[in-house]
Amino acid sequence: MGKNAIGEFEELLLLTVLILQEEAYILKIKEELVNQANRKSAMGAIHITLSRLESKDLLKSSLGGATAERGGRKKRIYELTAAGKTALTEVKETRNSMWNNVPEFALKVVYAN
Amino acid sequence: MPIDATLTFSLKLVKWLCKNDLVEEIQGNLEEYYLLLRTEKKSFFFVRYWYQVLHYMRPSFLQLFKLKNKGPMFNFNPKIAIRNLMNHRSTTIISLLGFVVGLTSVIFLYFYIENELNTDSFHIDKDQIYRVVRMASNNTGDVYPVSPTSGPYAGALANDFPETVQSTNRVLFERGLVTFEDKSFYEEDIVFADANFFTFFSYPLKKGNPATVLSGANDVVISQKIAEKYFGDEDPIGKILDIDAGDYKYTVSGVFDDFPTKSHLRFDMVFSIDLFDSFEWFGRWFNHGLCTYIKVNTPAEADYLESQFPDFMNKYMGEDFKRLGTQWGIKLESLGDLYFNEIRFEFPDIKHGSTVNVITLGSIALAILFIACFNYINLSIAQSYKRAKEVGVRKVLGVDQGRLIAQFLGESLVILLISVLASILLSELLKGSFNQFFDLNVIFNWQDPLVIVFFSSLFIVIVIASGLYPALLLSSFHPLKVLKTGKPALGKNIIVRKGLVILQFSMSIFLIIATSLIYMQLSFVQNRDLGFDKEAVLIIESNNAPIGENHETFKDLLKSSRFVKSVTSASGEPGGFHDNAPIEIDGIEEPVHLNTIFADTEYLKTFDISLVAGRAFDSNISSDNESVMMINESAVKSTGLSAEDIIGKKVRGSFWNLDHRIIGVFKDYHFKGLKTEIEPLVIISGDDDARIFAAKIDANNLSESVKEVEDIYKRISPNFPMSSRFLDDSIAQQYEEEAKQARIFTGFAILSIFLACMGIFGLASFSAQQRQKELSIRKVLGASVKQVIYLISNEFLVLVLISSLMAIPFSWYFVSGWLDGFAYRIELLNSWPIFLLGGAITAVVAFITIGAKTYKTAASNPSEIMRYE
Repeated sequence: MGKNAIGEFEELLLLTVLILQEEAYILKIKEELVNQANRKSAMGAIHITLSRLESKDLLKSSLGGATAERGGRKKRIYELTAAGKTALTEVKETRNSMWNNVPEFALKVVYAN
Repeated sequence: MPIDATLTFSLKLVKWLCKNDLVEEIQGNLEEYYLLLRTEKKSFFFVRYWYQVLHYMRPSFLQLFKLKNKGPMFNFNPKIAIRNLMNHRSTTIISLLGFVVGLTSVIFLYFYIENELNTDSFHIDKDQIYRVVRMASNNTGDVYPVSPTSGPYAGALANDFPETVQSTNRVLFERGLVTFEDKSFYEEDIVFADANFFTFFSYPLKKGNPATVLSGANDVVISQKIAEKYFGDEDPIGKILDIDAGDYKYTVSGVFDDFPTKSHLRFDMVFSIDLFDSFEWFGRWFNHGLCTYIKVNTPAEADYLESQFPDFMNKYMGEDFKRLGTQWGIKLESLGDLYFNEIRFEFPDIKHGSTVNVITLGSIALAILFIACFNYINLSIAQSYKRAKEVGVRKVLGVDQGRLIAQFLGESLVILLISVLASILLSELLKGSFNQFFDLNVIFNWQDPLVIVFFSSLFIVIVIASGLYPALLLSSFHPLKVLKTGKPALGKNIIVRKGLVILQFSMSIFLIIATSLIYMQLSFVQNRDLGFDKEAVLIIESNNAPIGENHETFKDLLKSSRFVKSVTSASGEPGGFHDNAPIEIDGIEEPVHLNTIFADTEYLKTFDISLVAGRAFDSNISSDNESVMMINESAVKSTGLSAEDIIGKKVRGSFWNLDHRIIGVFKDYHFKGLKTEIEPLVIISGDDDARIFAAKIDANNLSESVKEVEDIYKRISPNFPMSSRFLDDSIAQQYEEEAKQARIFTGFAILSIFLACMGIFGLASFSAQQRQKELSIRKVLGASVKQVIYLISNEFLVLVLISSLMAIPFSWYFVSGWLDGFAYRIELLNSWPIFLLGGAITAVVAFITIGAKTYKTAASNPSEIMRYE
């Protein structure tokens, strides 16, 4: 992991961007976060995290796709970089390998009665 | 349209505040989100949208504030402002705390005053509604308004002035037992009113038609609260309520909601007044027991109407006035004035406000705000010392004064904005405890457009008052001087700073003195010998038929109990209700106005009132049950006779068909509290119309005694809960308003001292810093730490002394004005130590503060400071 460590919210955002593909712009991401992870967050908060991921080179973005609802303004569409994809995969692999090491009985919920 | 204005405004805000290259994107996002929200028609639309907008206002999206001539170093830069605030954390916290405390107080007091001033403002016809008041007089010739009128006024006024009087309404206050199935409560806030009550006034109805809701003779309209209390979730309309244990039945025909603003009338249930109209006594002009309201077409007509009143009174009561040797007039009181008008006799059910309270609290709020602003100014000036070099460097690099002012004002703005948000939050959080502590019921109407106007203008004033002076001062430093010496020349404005400190301390000292004296007066009032015994006396209302009819049995049962020492029944207790009538005494020409009490033979004994001459009522002498009376010393004095001469005199009065003989003189006691002088009073034998029972019970077993009394009561009146109170409690209640004032004063006095100390803390640090070199030299020459602290404190103690000198005359003036409300009061001259105490407390607190701050400087090693020279 090391310096490529990504936070939980960042991970969620990266995944959402992956899911949405060409549709990955802030409003859609916000909506998808609610649908997929039941996470309500402000656009400002999402925006700033995306910018941070961009500055870590995990994301890249381009402007495009002006629509009437936006008053003819362009939107920023996000896309994962190769580093982003690697980071995400690394996270998944780490998790998987850790899960594999969890003894089965440890997860069983024991009820008092 | 207003919703679209929101969008436009928010987009402009983004354009103005956010970084240029992000604007397009952010605006796009917001607009799209906006449209989305609107098509989905979500609740809290406005809140949701602004939540998103405000979340975009974070440092990494915001742009630098640029003045017209761009230059990267010299704009208002939020980053620099925040860094500066962070670097001087203690000063920032002091300023923030000061503003938060000040603004929170202002928010509370603003809404308190706003609530008070808006009382009754929701009535649509408030300018046309008037209350009819009687102008009564006493034997010293005072003419004063009293509120009770009788049933026939309304009808006669409507009949005689059909063109002027649009409509009338009578409101009668009652209390009684209300029962629905198994639920039974004694309701205190009941009114009976004419059928047009809900169209005459504008109390909002939740259910029912205002025009017809009281039209039936057995209709009752109840509050939402009462509806829930009796019927839970069921629909209250059509339900039947039993009044006074089934004597009367009323059908619920409507439900009213909370009043939009306060009202002088407070009620839980409104009954149709028809029942009273059927009573013969209700139609008598002399039976004063209700409020009469009229509605005229225009306020000007009210003046005309008033000019017609003398003839009106003559027409209906001229004969009676002649016969009784008394008379009164009537006047109109507009609904707008009613709440703040002072009325000599008023129904306890009608709420009144106090102008004095409003003015006092308003000035306290302003004072606290002033103190907070002064603190900020003082601290900023002290701070300027540290920032002198920054200013010098900026100026050398070519910044003009305007930009520096922008930067410093901007910093004040940041502090203020944070304080405003924090105090709004804090005041919402503390609202409940505030209301509870001060015993108020303040509602926050944030939606009121006036609130926004008031608070934004207040905000601007504070920014200018507290931000502009430091900004001007800081930006005016001469760069050459500052850079050469490393410190600004601040010689002249020392007077400004000291002046501010003196003002702050004067306010604090004033509040300390006023608070202490108010407390002294209150304890004086509470501990003064009233001339009667108020301890362990239980007052029981005689408010229902079983008790009224069996009052002898009730008394006998009580007397036989070992917990009850003596029992009396009377028309009123000391400190309670006293009637008033003109009475003729044999051998004296003019009839004398006397307060009257009807009582049985045990009255003097139960209240431990001592006799001066003659004898008291005696239960063994049968004539003492009807035709004798006792008189107090003041009444004797008002006749001009001696106590011995007056005994045996015959007394007549057509009011109660008196034909009585005076048998005794009792000692004066304060039957009306300490706010008025003791007036003439007679105690007349006879308890047929007894309103209360008073039982002197065993003080050592209070709870058992009360239980015993309740049990006896229940035996006689099983369906009716006993309504009782302790005499000392109800007497203390007379000073409730004053006690409330004292609490408010104390609260804010502590606040203001706290704030003023923070101010002096700032100033002391400044002083210590400025004189660092001087102090070091003194230490090198052998001065001790103590001497150095003393040197600095001395300077401030002089300020405290001057403040005391300024505060003393003001507090003297204020407190003596306040004490004028009491006939029996503490002597201000004898309380001189209090006036010194105010100054002393402040001086001690200031000394501790200064000591704490200067100790560090005083104890530091001189070489540390001197070596930079």
